[in-house]
Amino acid sequence: MSKSTGLIKSYIDNITLNFKEHFENIPQVFKLSVADLKKTYTGAALGWAWAIIKPIVNIFVYWFAIAVGLRQGGDVNGYPYILWLICGIIPWFFMSEAITGGTECIRKYSYLVTKMKYPVTTIPTFTNLSKLFVHVIIALAVVLIFWIAGYPPTVYLLQLPIYTILMFLFFNAWALFAGLVSAMSKDFSNLVKSFNIAVFWLSGILWNIENVRDSELVYSLMMVNPVTFLCYGYRNCFVNHVWFFEEPKRLLYFVCWYLIMAFLSIWAHKKLRKEIPDVLM
Amino acid sequence: MSDVVIKFENVSKTYKLYSSTRKRLLGVFIKKIKYKKKNAVDNVSFQVERGESVALFGKNGAGKSTVLKMITGVAFPTNGDITVNGRVSALLELTSGFDQEMTGRQNIYLKGHILGLKDNEIKALEETIVEFSELNDYIDQPVRTYSSGMKARLGFAINVNIRPEILIVDEALSVGDAAFRNKCQKKINELIHSENVTLLFVTHQTAVAEEFCERGIVMKDGKIIFDGPVKEASAFYKKMYAIKK
Repeated sequence: MSKSTGLIKSYIDNITLNFKEHFENIPQVFKLSVADLKKTYTGAALGWAWAIIKPIVNIFVYWFAIAVGLRQGGDVNGYPYILWLICGIIPWFFMSEAITGGTECIRKYSYLVTKMKYPVTTIPTFTNLSKLFVHVIIALAVVLIFWIAGYPPTVYLLQLPIYTILMFLFFNAWALFAGLVSAMSKDFSNLVKSFNIAVFWLSGILWNIENVRDSELVYSLMMVNPVTFLCYGYRNCFVNHVWFFEEPKRLLYFVCWYLIMAFLSIWAHKKLRKEIPDVLM
Repeated sequence: MSDVVIKFENVSKTYKLYSSTRKRLLGVFIKKIKYKKKNAVDNVSFQVERGESVALFGKNGAGKSTVLKMITGVAFPTNGDITVNGRVSALLELTSGFDQEMTGRQNIYLKGHILGLKDNEIKALEETIVEFSELNDYIDQPVRTYSSGMKARLGFAINVNIRPEILIVDEALSVGDAAFRNKCQKKINELIHSENVTLLFVTHQTAVAEEFCERGIVMKDGKIIFDGPVKEASAFYKKMYAIKK
């Protein structure tokens, strides 16, 4: 009995520590995220342009393959396929970078772990935050693109920040877990990299999950998939015009995923925090 | 009157040695995976008072660096308690504590922010640091373009100029040319004598240690085997070493 209460207490202590480290270091976290952002884009001659060029090239290639090559891609809810594609794929660009980047974050900033006393739980936060800056700019650009294409913002767009925040929180938990585990061994980051593409194709980012409604199993798998939830959350804002509370089940599934991820991140932090500096030396 | 800034109570540190990184990854999830234990620091107790300057002697692998890392707060003890009061500025492996892609100047700010200094506080120190490091125009180049001597100079310049309360120097003075070394020694002397900074100093050169420190600790296989005035400690260390040979 006392053993299990001790365990619960150690988890609560870890959660408190996590909040404390974040709360006490808000200015540092912002400064480091800006530094991380600059570092990502200032190494190349074209610099900041890459933040825009990369998604444009990606979107064009996918659109070409699906709409031109496979002759798919009809209108969705009265919106052209390309617009439907864009608004669902931009959260994926963030997620994709957060999945792989989160896995690498503690390794990338190992000098913060091994050379100075730094609150480790904030490393995933500032690396994700720097990706979020880019994401927000791209999301605003998409609103503009919709407007130019003749689809002005609707009231449903108001819920977009909610999905963005949910996405950010979820992948923060992921990055803390994955970053710590992959600091122990590179095998884990290789594993994640190879699954990244699988997640992309399996989550209904390029194809509409409504097309698989006839297969109950596949459709219910899509309903519980957190990546699908976030992509379709964005599409609900731009194209489908659905409020997040109109599909409470999906929101509930996502919250469950978030709790699992948060638990894993606390577990990893509790278990590995003291070991990581010895391994990264 | 005594003011203890560093206190070790029965501190032990055990490293887990797995036979491969794959095993280490599995060891995270499965308790059964076997590993060897290496006691880097073994039941060590000591305390250091404010303003003291202590030299740590010992051969490679004696546990000196592990002790310094635990004081800095980057490594954690397996058993025992450590209390540290005051801002620690550590010169652990001078050449590696930088962000390689940032310029020297950006690294000054980065370190300052991490240590909790505000922008205007860093700005006030910036010129002193740049001047001390003698990097001139290179200060605005990415750190990855620096030679190891340049990195060491910058590292030293930052760490001694951000007004530390506890200064940890790990074999740092072996880098750089004689002129720069002299400047560093002068700066350290100034910190100890006029600003009451506590110094922990690791070196193999006993002569340098005798110059700075009043107290010496000799470590062997993770244990403290001598703790006393620096002259006696260095004599003890030399004798121990001589017998080994």
